Amino acid sequence: MQISSKEIISLIGLTSIIFLIAPLFLILYVLSYNRRKKKHHEETLILQKNFETELLKTQMEVQEQTLKTVAYDLHDNIGQLLSLTTITLSSINLNDSRNTAEKIALVEDLTLRSIKEVKALSRLLHGEEIVSKGLSAAIEFELEWLKRSEKFEITFEHNNMAIISDNAKDTILFRLFQEIINNIIQHAKATGIIINLEAIEDTLKLTIRDNGVGFDVDEILKRKGGMGLHNIKRRSAMINGTASIVSTKLNGTIITINVPYK
Amino acid sequence: MTFVTVNTVSEFLCFLAAIFFLYGEKVTAWKLFIPFLLLTCAVEIGGIYIREYMRIYNYPIYNVYLLFECGFTSYFFYYLYKPYHYKALWLLSWLGVFAAMYVGELFYNNFGRFTSHTATVMSVVFVLASLYFYYLKLKDEHFEPLLFSAPFWWVSGTLFFYFGSTVCNIFSDYLAEHERIRSVRYIIFNILDIIMYIFWSYAFLCRYRQRKSSPSLG
Repeated sequence: MQISSKEIISLIGLTSIIFLIAPLFLILYVLSYNRRKKKHHEETLILQKNFETELLKTQMEVQEQTLKTVAYDLHDNIGQLLSLTTITLSSINLNDSRNTAEKIALVEDLTLRSIKEVKALSRLLHGEEIVSKGLSAAIEFELEWLKRSEKFEITFEHNNMAIISDNAKDTILFRLFQEIINNIIQHAKATGIIINLEAIEDTLKLTIRDNGVGFDVDEILKRKGGMGLHNIKRRSAMINGTASIVSTKLNGTIITINVPYK
Repeated sequence: MTFVTVNTVSEFLCFLAAIFFLYGEKVTAWKLFIPFLLLTCAVEIGGIYIREYMRIYNYPIYNVYLLFECGFTSYFFYYLYKPYHYKALWLLSWLGVFAAMYVGELFYNNFGRFTSHTATVMSVVFVLASLYFYYLKLKDEHFEPLLFSAPFWWVSGTLFFYFGSTVCNIFSDYLAEHERIRSVRYIIFNILDIIMYIFWSYAFLCRYRQRKSSPSLG
């Protein structure tokens, strides 16, 4: 079958039109892909902003916790020491020189203890600096205060933490630790707390175990406040981590937080 | 009125857009559009004059113009690729291949015809260059509003023109032999010219807006 030149020319014209349509679809594809990229870019920005807001909130909570500790310490410890100092001073009888010397020595001891307490408080007030020295140092420092109450038998174990560090993640993780400890103090009726902080490759694993009364995790999670458990899970997820809460009634609670530090 | 054709009018309007939008431009690659489009208009008018008034073949003028077209378009693609660490060696290699083909075809035809095969290869290379630009844009994690991106619209116009003209270029000898003056080829090139120059003019407008919003660009 012979094809006429007219038919070939029509075919060339038709093919050219198809060749014109193809770039049009390509341009539309690139533009629509770019729109998706824009959406993704905006979402990333929102996530970043949310993270920064949450980080700021966490820093404020850490400060708030510090101030609470300062207030308790001023009232229960330094306040008592100073009251005792005042009482001792007011009971001094200048005519009884032997007794006076003993009382002055006591006042001196009380004053030295007060100075020591004030120094410890001053260190505590630099809470953020403590976090910047490393998570394990911050936890250790926080536990020092808890040990003074002598209500709990505390064990803290950690491996070489110097390998991984991220200030934002450290702050959030430290705040999670504070929240969990607060829960134990307020609700667990525990006598022992075991804290384990270990770096496994690029992941940080924080395990907090208590021997308290335990609770029904599902039931607590259903409640609106949920003892801050929702907060623990949400904040862990925010730093790409996971929080597992295992608790059985009368058998204590184990909370494990895994956070990648890469 | 012989000189007023769809091609000449679209080229001239694009040239005016280039003058208006790129006059204060500091970047050489963009500023070169003004002389390049002036040359395009001059070649088009010269081609018509030679064909209509001197009654001789006008392919020599288009053969010379092909050198400028390839040189400028290749350089502009190179300018667009530069932020992506593109090496000048690729540009020079391509220009070397083009020069070899061009000279070879000129001698093969004894300087008696338009270097259509070289022009076809050049079109294919520019199509690939345009697609590579899209690939770079898709791969780039940095977001850029493409609707207002001058390079994107310039590349799109270029892709339309060179991709759309591929079939006509491949069958150029056949069409030249079998067609009359107002042919399918003529209509297709008119459409392609209009599309390309509209896209280019819009690209110049985008560049102008970008320049006005970022004074550091000139």
